[in-house]
Amino acid sequence: MSKDMKFLVVDDFSTMRRIIRNLLKELGFTNVDEAEDGVSALAKLNGGGFDFVVSDWNMPNMTGIELLRAIRADQNLKHLPVLMVTAEAKKENIVEAAQAGASGYVVKPFTAVTLDEKISKILQKQGVPQ
Amino acid sequence: MSDFAGMEELLRDFLTEAGELLSDVDNKLVELEKRPDDAKLLNDIFRGFHTIKGGAGFLNVDELVKLCHLTENLFDKLRNRELALSLEVMDVIMSATMVVRDMFQSLERASMPQPADTALLTALQDALDGKLSAPAASEDPAPAAAAADAPAPSATPATAAPAPVAADDGPDWNALYHGLLGTSAPADQASTVREVQPTRNPGRRATDQPEADGMRAGRRDNDKVVVVSQETTIRIDTNRLDQVLNLSGEIGLAKNRLNCLRTDILSGKDNPDTFRALDEAVSHLDLLVSDLQNAVMKTRMQPIGRLFQKYPRVARDMARQLGKNVELVLVGEDTELDKTMIEELGDPLIHLVRNAVDHGIEAPDERRRSGKPETATVRLSAQQMGDHIILEISDDGRGMKPDVLRRKAVEKGLIDADTAANMDERHALQLVFMPGFSTKEQVSSFSGRGVGMDVVKTNIQKLNGRIEIKSIVGGGTTFSISLPLTLAILPVLVVRVGEQPFAVPLALVREIITIQPDQVQEVSGKATMVVRDEVLPVRSLSGLIGWPQERPPAYGVLMQSAVNNLILAVDGFVGRDDVVIKPLEDVKPKGVAGATLSGDGSVVLVLDMEQLLSEPHVETRRSLFEMAA
Repeated sequence: MSKDMKFLVVDDFSTMRRIIRNLLKELGFTNVDEAEDGVSALAKLNGGGFDFVVSDWNMPNMTGIELLRAIRADQNLKHLPVLMVTAEAKKENIVEAAQAGASGYVVKPFTAVTLDEKISKILQKQGVPQ
Repeated sequence: MSDFAGMEELLRDFLTEAGELLSDVDNKLVELEKRPDDAKLLNDIFRGFHTIKGGAGFLNVDELVKLCHLTENLFDKLRNRELALSLEVMDVIMSATMVVRDMFQSLERASMPQPADTALLTALQDALDGKLSAPAASEDPAPAAAAADAPAPSATPATAAPAPVAADDGPDWNALYHGLLGTSAPADQASTVREVQPTRNPGRRATDQPEADGMRAGRRDNDKVVVVSQETTIRIDTNRLDQVLNLSGEIGLAKNRLNCLRTDILSGKDNPDTFRALDEAVSHLDLLVSDLQNAVMKTRMQPIGRLFQKYPRVARDMARQLGKNVELVLVGEDTELDKTMIEELGDPLIHLVRNAVDHGIEAPDERRRSGKPETATVRLSAQQMGDHIILEISDDGRGMKPDVLRRKAVEKGLIDADTAANMDERHALQLVFMPGFSTKEQVSSFSGRGVGMDVVKTNIQKLNGRIEIKSIVGGGTTFSISLPLTLAILPVLVVRVGEQPFAVPLALVREIITIQPDQVQEVSGKATMVVRDEVLPVRSLSGLIGWPQERPPAYGVLMQSAVNNLILAVDGFVGRDDVVIKPLEDVKPKGVAGATLSGDGSVVLVLDMEQLLSEPHVETRRSLFEMAA
């Protein structure tokens, strides 16, 4: 997989954005942008150039699941892999995410290794050569 | 060894951000008491705990995760109307928030927090199980009945979700669920999944037993702790930083222009055009430098709301314990103040808020008797007035009685009966600022914390501010604090003794008067002057600094000091000035705070009035006006 992939990390808690950014950096992904909620994430995504979205679930203004639905409903964005990051480890939430078209789901806290596995699996499914 | 080696920066970020979040949660909790059904509040508080939990998980602070997890679950049930918010539940939530804050404090010392009290965890669990909501639930028949009808505690609506999963036509959601999670658990096990605890990754430190955690935390506490100081960083609006950058760029250009002109002049090109250009360049630089000073100052400005937001909770907790009903109203939270000042104001303001709730506000029955609303209001406000910030703490309580204050001060031996009798009402109020003065016989557990109003006044004066009291008996008390916008530049009044200039902080100066020898009278052996019916002691500056009085002083500076007001007798004035104080390196003369340069390059000593006036020097008419032969 290409290390130039551009990530968008969406979380309202800047400490968390930084954690995820650092983990991605550990994995060699340095092309990372951030958004603090679904609304600003969508605005950035519409600007184009992103290859992967990592989004929190619980956010003000527009939640992660709403963002996910908006992405899937958009002709230009619907192909984007979206990894949902959250502490909501409840089954009905995971099912909801699956229904809404999440590409993967990772429960906080996680390590770079776990994140790597999730990303690889998603890219594999999408047919991106490893 | 720190518990957070290699994660210090992350920890600091977390503490700053999570600390703000927790203060916000605290305020929302106070709001929630007034509007227990507000869905947005419940949701916001839920999200607050959720976010703190998420961050704490990455830092491996298991105890914090556990506590936040329980509290978050409680709010999940509250926001889904599965539980009703009773007083008991509210108390448990308030204690949980307090413990979360304690844990933050432990994290600030970079040590793993102790596990939360078992009693608290049990209480949270009880609240979650609906054991604390019974009375409140019965008031609201519909949802309560639904909850009561639920067959078993384990089958509360939120967790009874599997049904639609199986019933739904279309894709196999169970399979999808496992696809997403990346697990291959059999379907029957999946359908019984109730709620997965936040999973910890194997390979990380995963001691899960509370006993083990407790021991670990206990042991680590004795180790040498690495202090993570939260206050060494500041968050600045990037626009403000950009402005600083822009201005320094422009100053660079102005400097280039000056260099160019210097070359011209040195090479003999000294025609009027060159000098006009030089004049323009210097004026331009002058403007840019003052803009830069302002811009840099702005980067240190923070909204005072950061400080204010801690107080509603303080007032609420205290009022609750004292059996009073108090609402704290915040006004002007957006008002900006220098970061250092905000930090230094924390203690004095908390003291004044506590003081208002404890001493200012009457008990509910006393308020009823005097025809006041049972719920008292304490108002904390901030606003900018010109180059000053005015903070006010006002209550609608019983007010302060000057007679009582006078009597107390005499009883405590702080002033003599004569002084008390001569004291007008405004000054009697100032007595509370005297060291050793406390109006309540019983030192309460709140206000009496070894910090008196004298310390409040001293702290405010250290910030070059002043504090005043207005009080109406039966109507309430207002403490009004006036502060300069910044500490970097000190406005001073430059006075002269002989030919030597001295600077006194302008904040202490009330007015300037002339001194006529015949207006100075001796009262109990001390030189005094009556200014607008106020008897004020006269102290000469030359006497205070130990110089001989070479000529009768011509002017008096009416000053407000920590203890009382006085007239500082001087020979003359230079004027007012804004100075930057440079501390003196090797010598530290008594009563001198530092030195500064005046515009013409001469050194001016800046006086530390408080220290200067602590000198037990008695001024008489004789020492003022009879010169050494």
